[in-house]
Amino acid sequence: MVRKKVLRKVSTIVILCMLSGLSAGCYDRREIDDLAYVIAIGLDKGKSNVLKMTLQFAVPTAIGNGQEGGGSNGEKSSIVTTVETPTIYSGLNMVNNYISKQVDLSHAKVIIFSKELAQEGIHQYIHAIMRGREFRPNMFILVARDSAEEYIKNVKPSLEINPAKYYEMNLEAFKYTGFTGNTQLINFYLQQECTCSQAVATLAAVNRYKTTGDFTVKHSTAGNKSRSYPLEGDFKAGHIPRVGEVHSEIMGLAVFDGGTMVGELDGEETTYYLMQTGQYHYSYITLPDPIVKDKFVVLNVTQNRKPAHRVRMEDGSPKIHANIRLDADILSIQSGKNYEYAGNVHILEKAAEDFIEKGMLQFLERTTTELNADVCAFGKDMKGQFLTWKEWQEFKWLERYKDATFEIDVDLKIRRPGLIIRSKPAYSTKGEEMY
Amino acid sequence: MENKMVFGKWEAITLLMNMISTKIVLNFQRKVAEDAGTAGWILTIYISVLALLGFMVIEKLYAEFEGKDLLDIGEYIGGTVGRVMIGSVIFIFLVYIVTVVLREFSENLKIVTLTVSPISFVSLFFLAGMIVGAYLGLEALVRLHAIAIPVLTVTFLFISFAISQYFNISRIMPIFGTGLRNIFVGGFTKVSIFAELLILFLIVPYIRTHKNFKTVGYTSLFIAGFSLTMSSLIFLLVFPYPAAIEGFLPMYQLSRLINYGRFFQRVESVFVFTWGIVALLYLSAGFYFIVFTFKKTFNLTYYQPLIIPFAILIYTMSFLPPNLDSTVILETKYFRNTAWLVTFVMPIVILLIAKTIKKRKKEVKHSNG
Repeated sequence: MVRKKVLRKVSTIVILCMLSGLSAGCYDRREIDDLAYVIAIGLDKGKSNVLKMTLQFAVPTAIGNGQEGGGSNGEKSSIVTTVETPTIYSGLNMVNNYISKQVDLSHAKVIIFSKELAQEGIHQYIHAIMRGREFRPNMFILVARDSAEEYIKNVKPSLEINPAKYYEMNLEAFKYTGFTGNTQLINFYLQQECTCSQAVATLAAVNRYKTTGDFTVKHSTAGNKSRSYPLEGDFKAGHIPRVGEVHSEIMGLAVFDGGTMVGELDGEETTYYLMQTGQYHYSYITLPDPIVKDKFVVLNVTQNRKPAHRVRMEDGSPKIHANIRLDADILSIQSGKNYEYAGNVHILEKAAEDFIEKGMLQFLERTTTELNADVCAFGKDMKGQFLTWKEWQEFKWLERYKDATFEIDVDLKIRRPGLIIRSKPAYSTKGEEMY
Repeated sequence: MENKMVFGKWEAITLLMNMISTKIVLNFQRKVAEDAGTAGWILTIYISVLALLGFMVIEKLYAEFEGKDLLDIGEYIGGTVGRVMIGSVIFIFLVYIVTVVLREFSENLKIVTLTVSPISFVSLFFLAGMIVGAYLGLEALVRLHAIAIPVLTVTFLFISFAISQYFNISRIMPIFGTGLRNIFVGGFTKVSIFAELLILFLIVPYIRTHKNFKTVGYTSLFIAGFSLTMSSLIFLLVFPYPAAIEGFLPMYQLSRLINYGRFFQRVESVFVFTWGIVALLYLSAGFYFIVFTFKKTFNLTYYQPLIIPFAILIYTMSFLPPNLDSTVILETKYFRNTAWLVTFVMPIVILLIAKTIKKRKKEVKHSNG
């Protein structure tokens, strides 16, 4: 009995010693202060090696000081380094070799591929990233139209001290601009791996304009749409007519076929992409006044219902019908026409529906004829018509998509006129003036 | 002395629930996607129904052997030889799966969080839990299950709801995946997913009545079947086939996607904690039944002296597979295709023989009387 008690005590002590040893720390112990946090990764084609990898690190001391544009001693809130390397992970090894802290990717917000690299194919890099434990699935995938390195070097946010927050907020802005998309790594990966859709990435670039005098519509996409002047969505990243402190910008989407970039969408096409995929939240949409020439009406458009798609095969070609239901509030009527009035509102609704339908049709036809990429994932609706995976695979949807034809039905309802319910003229010495 | 210990239905149900459903945090969802494609969840429903049918047959046969575990019945059939034969089969069965799962959990933990630590060190965490659990005995283990399983269930329900923003019904299309033949003919052996039901046939003396046995069996099978089906459905609604078979650790991959604003993300850290508890509960209960089976098979008085030698044995054997993939194959390809023979066929055969013997004995007694 005494022996049993002693044995129990000894066992308890041994177990406690074992457990305390385990809880005191382990091989994987890493102090927060000993890590260098990457917030952006840029990948370009290398000159001396396969890849040129640029890493942007957060400088926590500068961010913590809360000084605009850096710390109290003029510290920058981020630093950038570039290496040439055969692979992403070997590049990290090289960087670890010359910076004092260990590189940590768990706070990386974006990964930027140069257009040149994307056009050669990035599937192998996406796979390597998905395999890595530190990469977050919600980091954004960007394609820099020029160079990823240049883009990262030009990310100098003036309204944000923390560059990581800048990326987060800037890349989520599609929810209220409609000009980029939710191109998180997980979405990109799932779209790319799906047999029913193709992937997209946010287009990024460094703005080229130095002064307002340099502005030109030469790089706008308005000409392709037979417009004499560009609307706000008729641009791609790098060509937005603007000057200011921040030179980096995002606008539009890069379209992929598998892992290879095959084309670009401008801001307006991106808005239609969002509407077709049900990711559109709300944004301002400018359209020509239906009655008065050269005047605009601006609507705040929202999409409260998911789009309805119907895909069927007709004579061996896919026939796609899409119904988009939108709500809108009036923001501006430059002509002063009383479109708010219940008897006139249908004129504006019809004009907006026609405008969006036309633009959407042009965009969808581009995806078949020029891009040959089902970015709107109509294949998902087709897939449900098959019973087994073998039948679906043999159908080869992605190959057939190029023959698809579309019927678009936009149903837009104007709900509210803003704070003005009747447009009235201003009065001058010349009489009534509306504009 | 030990057989006087009893526990309630709830404790037994939670024990079996955890033993059967642990694979949710391992590779189950990926494996059913590999077997049936987009119809992985239909395959899970099918094998759950098969498991319920199998248990229905066993439960009917068991009615005449209330309070007896499989080893007792083995002894009834063939004396010591019968007990040793059946005990040895169960012992090998348990050693195999506990060894493989110990390695799997350790490897997974190394991939997910303890990347630098040697695998032998990571395994020690689980081994310590297994040893302590076995020393504390079955009563402590089942009571711990009764407390922990509701908490773990809530955690997994939370992950499942939080991930719902990624659900897309088109991802489970085409509805019959790799085909009806693959699901209903090829999928038959996958009923081995419910292999741990065997534990129920070892705890019969502790849950006393046949009514309790029935309730525990049906309830735990139903809940486990439901959990397995929901987990495979949720996984396939998020990860489209064939991407679904590409990723490792489905539940971990799902928890990594949870992201509500800038302040609510990185939930997988909670998942890893929960996952560790599930692993500890599974391994400690599994290890207890190894030493318990050995003790009962060879009619030993105490099981405690077996704990350390068996722990060392299992720890060492867990390092035999050269890598993680070989370990996963040992479980999914071999064990999960053949274990149904031990869990369902063996008890049915034993019970049928025992029933025949009992009937004959009755007839002999009747004719003599």
